[in-house]
Amino acid sequence: MSTTRALVILLVSLSFTCVIPVVFTGYNEVCSSEAGSEQSTEFRNKVDTSKLSGIEYLIADMYNNDRVLYAVVVTLVMATLGTGMAFLTDLVLKALGLEVSRISHKE
Amino acid sequence: MNIFNIYLPVAGIEFSVLLLILIGFCVGVLGGFFGVGGGWMITPALNIFGFHMAFAIGTPLADIFGQSIGAVRKHHRMGNVDWKLGFVSIISSVIGVEIGSRVILEMEKVGDVGSVVRWCYIVLLSALGSYMMYDYFSTHPRHKGSADVSSKSAEKIRPGGTKVSEKLHRINLPPMISFPASGIQGVSVWIILLVFLITGFLSGFMGVGGGFIILPVLVYLIGLPTTIAVGTSLVTVLFTAAYGCFTYALKGRVELLAAFIMLIGASIGAQVGATAIKYIKGYGIRLLFAIMVIFASLSVLTEQFYKMAGKHIFQQLAGIVLMGTALAMSALIIGKLTLESRKDGTSSRQN
Repeated sequence: MSTTRALVILLVSLSFTCVIPVVFTGYNEVCSSEAGSEQSTEFRNKVDTSKLSGIEYLIADMYNNDRVLYAVVVTLVMATLGTGMAFLTDLVLKALGLEVSRISHKE
Repeated sequence: MNIFNIYLPVAGIEFSVLLLILIGFCVGVLGGFFGVGGGWMITPALNIFGFHMAFAIGTPLADIFGQSIGAVRKHHRMGNVDWKLGFVSIISSVIGVEIGSRVILEMEKVGDVGSVVRWCYIVLLSALGSYMMYDYFSTHPRHKGSADVSSKSAEKIRPGGTKVSEKLHRINLPPMISFPASGIQGVSVWIILLVFLITGFLSGFMGVGGGFIILPVLVYLIGLPTTIAVGTSLVTVLFTAAYGCFTYALKGRVELLAAFIMLIGASIGAQVGATAIKYIKGYGIRLLFAIMVIFASLSVLTEQFYKMAGKHIFQQLAGIVLMGTALAMSALIIGKLTLESRKDGTSSRQN
C-alpha cells in the first residue's frame, strides 16, 4: 500500500475520532465508570508542574490547561509515530528478507 | 535497573522504559497476528506494575491506535482486509457498543457490576476457546481422515466457510450484500448488522475493544478465511481505538509519554506479528488464538477469586498468567516466523 493510502486511513481515523465522541457521549460515561472504582480516591485531574522541566513540563502544562489540545496532540502523535515506526520496521524486515506481498488464503 | 526508569508526569509515577517497550512489543505481536487490540492484556499488566486504573485503561487505547495503523497497512498489502465488510461492521458495532454501555450504566445504579462483567468474560472466553479447540481437532485435515475432508467439499462449503456461516448465508432476507474480497457472494445485510450489533453490545457491556470477539465471529458466523478475518478485525480495532484514544485523552486518562514509549515496541511487534501470518495457515492461527483465549479466561477467573477471597496472591497470579501467556505466545510466533522464513530463504536459493 502506498504512503498516500496510509495517510488516507490516518485522516479518516482522525475525523472519526473527532466526530464520534461528540455524538456518543454515553460511551464516555462507561469509560469513566470503568476507571471509577479508584477514581474518587486517587485519580488526580491536575498535575503538579512545580518540579517539572523540559518535555515533562510541556506535557503536564498542556494536560492541565487545555484538555482538547492534549487529546488532539495525543491522537496525532500516536498516529504519526505509528505510521513512521511501521514504515521503518518495514524497511528493516525487507532488509532481513521478510518482505510481504499478496498471500493465498489457505485454511 | 533504576537507570531505565523514567518519570511519567501525567500519571505521576516512575516506570521502567524497558518494561513499557516489552509490554508494547508483546501486544503488538499479538495484535498484528490475531487482529486484536490487546487492551485485555495491557490494562491489567500496567495496573499490576503501578499504573492507576484510570491511566491503565486509557493509555493502552492510544498505543493500540498507533500500532493498528501499521498492522492494517501490512495486512492490506497481503490482501487480508475486506474494507467493505470492515466499514459495514463499524456502523453496526458502534450502535451495539452504545446499547451495551447504556445497559452497564443502568446496572451500575442497582449495584456492583464488576463481578457480573468478569463472569461474562469467563464464560464467553472459555466457551470461545473451547469451541475453537473442538473445531480445530474435529475439522483440521491432520486430525480428520481425508474421506471426511472430501465430505466437506461434497457438502459444498466454500473455502473458509463453516456450516453455521453457510446456513446464515442461505437466509434470503433482502437487501442482500456481497463481499468479493472475502469470497462471499450474497448474504442478507440484516444478518451482518445483527451479528455486529451483538458483538458491539458485548464490547460495550464488557468495556473492551472487541477484537477477540470479532475474529471468531468473522470466521465462524460470517465465514471469512482466517487471514482475511484477522485483517478485517484490525480495521474495526483501528477505528475503535482511534475513538477511544481521543475520548480518553479528552478526559485526561492517557499518559502520553508512556503511550509513546510503548508504541515504539508495539509498532515493531505489530509488523512482526502481521508478517508471521504469511507463514502460518488459518487453522494454526485459530488454534493459537483458542489457547490464548483459554489462558485469558483463566486469568480473569483468578482475578475473580481475588475479588471474592481478598487474597493479593490471586491478583498477582492473574497478572503472571496474562503476561506469561502473552510472552509465550509472542515467542512462539517469532520462533515460527524465524524458522519458516529461513526455510523460505533456503528453498528460494535452491530454486
